[in-house]
Amino acid sequence: MTSGFWIQFAGSAIAVAILVALAGWASIARAIPPLEIDQARRLMAEEFPDKTIDQLWIADDGKAALARSGDFGLVIYRVGDGLVGRQVPWSAIPKAVAGHLTLSFGDFAAPAIKVAFSGLGAAAYAHAAL
Amino acid sequence: MLTPPFDLVTLAVPFFVLAVILEIGLARFGVTKTNYETRDTLTSLAMGLGRSVPLLLTAGVSFTASVWVYQHRVFTVPFEAWWGWAAIFFLEDLTYYAFHRWSHERRFWWAAHVNHHTSQHYNLSTALRQTWTGGVSGTWLLWLPLAWLGFSPAQIAIQQGISLVYQFWIHTEAIGRMPRWFEAVFNTPSHHRVHHARNPRYLDRNYAGILITWDRMFGTFQPELDDEKCRYGIVKNLGDFNILRVAFHEWVGIGQDLLTARSPRQVWFYMFGPPGWSPDGSRATSASLRARWEAAQGGQETKL
Repeated sequence: MTSGFWIQFAGSAIAVAILVALAGWASIARAIPPLEIDQARRLMAEEFPDKTIDQLWIADDGKAALARSGDFGLVIYRVGDGLVGRQVPWSAIPKAVAGHLTLSFGDFAAPAIKVAFSGLGAAAYAHAAL
Repeated sequence: MLTPPFDLVTLAVPFFVLAVILEIGLARFGVTKTNYETRDTLTSLAMGLGRSVPLLLTAGVSFTASVWVYQHRVFTVPFEAWWGWAAIFFLEDLTYYAFHRWSHERRFWWAAHVNHHTSQHYNLSTALRQTWTGGVSGTWLLWLPLAWLGFSPAQIAIQQGISLVYQFWIHTEAIGRMPRWFEAVFNTPSHHRVHHARNPRYLDRNYAGILITWDRMFGTFQPELDDEKCRYGIVKNLGDFNILRVAFHEWVGIGQDLLTARSPRQVWFYMFGPPGWSPDGSRATSASLRARWEAAQGGQETKL
């Protein structure tokens, strides 16, 4: 690799830094108000069109939602101003510890997340065992 | 001529930077509705910046192969001939269509291309979210027939650069639709928004580079519909902005699947089947997602 390449690379890196700073300054990300039940249901329907929702819980911070659909757990959560969805077997949903759930998806593309679901009581798990 | 006298993409970098600044500025002051999220922008631009390193590592191999094939050409297309440039415009664009379609419909090449689609935004920075593994996946082999036909490696490289630079400006929501005649012939922001959308109706459509006519000819064209807003990203969006995850997640997925393969057939389909293929059909391919969506529409939608 020539010195010309590295000069060009360094110049491009500076340009990247400036553009990212400009994007941050502009504050033009999508608005992401906390999830509400109706919105979460709509987003779940978009993300998992084949699934019907039996029960739905919204995370305490409004950035995620968990649904029970038969033997599956459906999860949507915010990443930046976007949305990510994953489904896992309901049996793989761990019990909350101090109101917090650590959800692992077994997917390199989606690392585990830790979310507070204080509304997810023991009843949900009891139902799951039926 | 074997090496191009200039690198069009490098020359265009200042234009890319100014265009992104303009797009951000227009959105900031409410002229357009474009969105930029800081980490998403950093990921896109870092992918574009980082691309130059792996590209440099594989460029020698692809260039050497191109020169070797050119030395065994069947015709000689003069570099200065206007008709040669007209011919390579169409032939290179057709090659791009084939490459792009293959890159969506076969998992091995999708693994190299998917990173370009991982942003949930559609703005000019998304255009720069380029592959790091395209060279090692060997997609450059598709351009070798042009050298065999007699186009010099330099001419091929220049036309590839023209195509890449053309495709930059279509990554925007700031432009609605171009004049009707232009939309009929050329790839446009509207057509390419469809290509980046994850709505079942829009999956695996509009593979064009410069001319949208290839999609119209080969049955992969889908117009953008006013009543179905594009939702950008991939079928299973990424869980963070880690640049290594963006670049390599599908390769890791292939590796994990190969470890569970129980037959040569499964090995083959995990590598070269459609993205989302699984032995028991428990995952979703673009085709199955589209079929389910069509069924949900009551069978009113017909295949293109």
